[in-house]
Amino acid sequence: MPSDLETRASLILRLPDAADVEAWNEFTSLYGPLMYRLARRRGLQAADAEDLVQEVFTAVSRSVERWLARKDRGRFRAWLFRIARNRAINFLTRPKHRPQAAGGADAANQLAAVVSPDVAADVFDMEYRRELFRRAAEQVRRSVADNTWRAFWLSSVEALGVAETAKRLGMSVGSVYIARSRTMARLRAIVREFEERQS
Amino acid sequence: MSHQLEPCEDRRLRLLLTAAEDSTEYKTAATHVESCLNCQTRLGALAADVQEWSEARELLTTNGDDLQIEQELRDRPRRLSEDDRTSDDDRSAAFNSAVVRQLLSPPSHPEMLGRLGRYEIERLIGAGGMGVVFKGFDTELNRPVAIKALAPHLAGSGAARQRFAREARAAAAIVHEHVVAIHDVESEQDPPFLVMQYVAGHSLQARIDRDGPLSICEILRIARQTASALAAAHEQGLVHRDVKPANILLEHQVDRALLTDFGLARASDDASLTRSGHLPGTPHYMSPEQARGEAVDPRSDLFSLGSVLYAMCAGRPPFRAESSLGVLRRITDSEPRPLREINPQVPTWLCRLVEKLHAKHPGDRFQSASQVAELLQCCLAHVQHPESHALPESLLESGDRDHAAKARTRVTSFAVIASTLVLTGLGALAVFLPRWHSSPADDHNAGPSPRTVQSESSTSGASVVETPAPPAADVSTQWDDEVDAALDRVEESIQQLDGESRQLFDVSSRNSIEP
Repeated sequence: MPSDLETRASLILRLPDAADVEAWNEFTSLYGPLMYRLARRRGLQAADAEDLVQEVFTAVSRSVERWLARKDRGRFRAWLFRIARNRAINFLTRPKHRPQAAGGADAANQLAAVVSPDVAADVFDMEYRRELFRRAAEQVRRSVADNTWRAFWLSSVEALGVAETAKRLGMSVGSVYIARSRTMARLRAIVREFEERQS
Repeated sequence: MSHQLEPCEDRRLRLLLTAAEDSTEYKTAATHVESCLNCQTRLGALAADVQEWSEARELLTTNGDDLQIEQELRDRPRRLSEDDRTSDDDRSAAFNSAVVRQLLSPPSHPEMLGRLGRYEIERLIGAGGMGVVFKGFDTELNRPVAIKALAPHLAGSGAARQRFAREARAAAAIVHEHVVAIHDVESEQDPPFLVMQYVAGHSLQARIDRDGPLSICEILRIARQTASALAAAHEQGLVHRDVKPANILLEHQVDRALLTDFGLARASDDASLTRSGHLPGTPHYMSPEQARGEAVDPRSDLFSLGSVLYAMCAGRPPFRAESSLGVLRRITDSEPRPLREINPQVPTWLCRLVEKLHAKHPGDRFQSASQVAELLQCCLAHVQHPESHALPESLLESGDRDHAAKARTRVTSFAVIASTLVLTGLGALAVFLPRWHSSPADDHNAGPSPRTVQSESSTSGASVVETPAPPAADVSTQWDDEVDAALDRVEESIQQLDGESRQLFDVSSRNSIEP
């Protein structure tokens, strides 16, 4: 059995163009944390959630041949996203065959009830969107001044009043309004860009 | 809508969202917003509507139950960014002191970092995707040791533990003066760890980074010792799969090279690579068959040994490109730049030896590591005592002309052929050129082909991607279902694993989320 380093190398070589490699990288970095969160909330242990993510990536990378073999294969990115979404929904709708052990996750109980595919699809789409927002936020945070970011974070995510935020950061009220709106506008632009790329 | 003295136009407010902060328009609008309550509110509405603001808040807020999951995601040591050139250094940064403390029991001696079984841990000497390496001290046998511990996030995974133990035991079976000895494998411990011979020195990689190309004697010595280590491994049926300068340790004082990380590369990749989707280590020393994901045999290690030899001669690996994809393409498709163009000190017979190790087809390489070790031994004897030791016959086969002369001859003859072809007409070109292009393997003894030189000088390695011919397999319309079925099987096995881990709940409860 080849090592995963080798598996990945061969995946890279089989993809017809560099943009596909990029798509794979983006797919794994986006989908990895997402699948991990879903699995953990569903009650899987940390190491098993880890295994699940890896196994799914390995299985998907090995099925790339099928995508390559299609004449009308469409975009690699779209294909990856579609099977990943199906996968997650299947995972969420499958009844758990064991009751949650004592001391397990409270968060998992919310999902334990999830069985309808519609609800599962919503959960996935929402988590997907959450991941997009996180990534976009990370990107914006790195590109703006520290105070600008904090003004946005305190006044909108942590729902601290604008006046209070201004006081805490030693900024004027007007500049907090500008900082949070400016950051928000940028965040949305990046999320939109991500969405367009994925769809 | 505005009754302010200043015009509260949306157009001006939008500048605040997008314009450069040092522009005059921005500053004017900013001053206005400072005192205009309407515009303060309006600005927020222009950035996003009410639902969007609340969506952002909701999605970016981590609720209490998820805090631990987010922490775990941050602790995953190999959350690599888009860049797949991430170095080992970046990864080791992920092993912060908290993680290290988590691995160790408190020390019994104040100058030590902690304890692991009967071993006192002195300090951290390295970290990778799989875990950390400590310098330690064996209190029973009174000797320094190197201890490799499986990372905490892997220690909980049955699969990773098993693989760790299996590979470590296989490696422990190789007893050889040029293989780092494995003293002990503690796979039932938490974390599992293995105890190795402590080598005081540095890696060949560090040496090349520091000094550039090595002397011919050193190159031959290190290569011979590495080849003999590989021969010992191959005899045990073990292919190393990760022969590279970072895995060859050079002992201080003594002229001794030791090969390490036998098969362990696999255990670590297992856990780290597919998760992030990025190459965990360097692909620079892979063989073409490895890169393509084909079956490998001992001759794959010989290709890598060729790359190590090349790196010692040139001061850099043979196949380089901007991206992993570029590197892999080079490995499978092109010949490296001739060594003597980089380092004219390298004798032509050594170039020939490296070229033979670098044959794309395993069948065209030397056939065993012991054969290579013997050959290198003879070469070393020749360099040290040229008058009494002749070079091995096999390295003399195409005479002793040097590369430059050969290259000139080739260029000349190509020019002659080309002009002949032009005279013969375009039809002839169409017939001959493709054949000439498609036979790079015929030419491994004859130095670089013009095609290689051309691609080596191209700077856009990553974008030079040929579309492979589509596989002959029939086009299945059920592809999605088949993939899903395959993934279903994967999930079933994971669920089973999950079930088993729950049965051992007492043992594994420490991994569960605490409210």
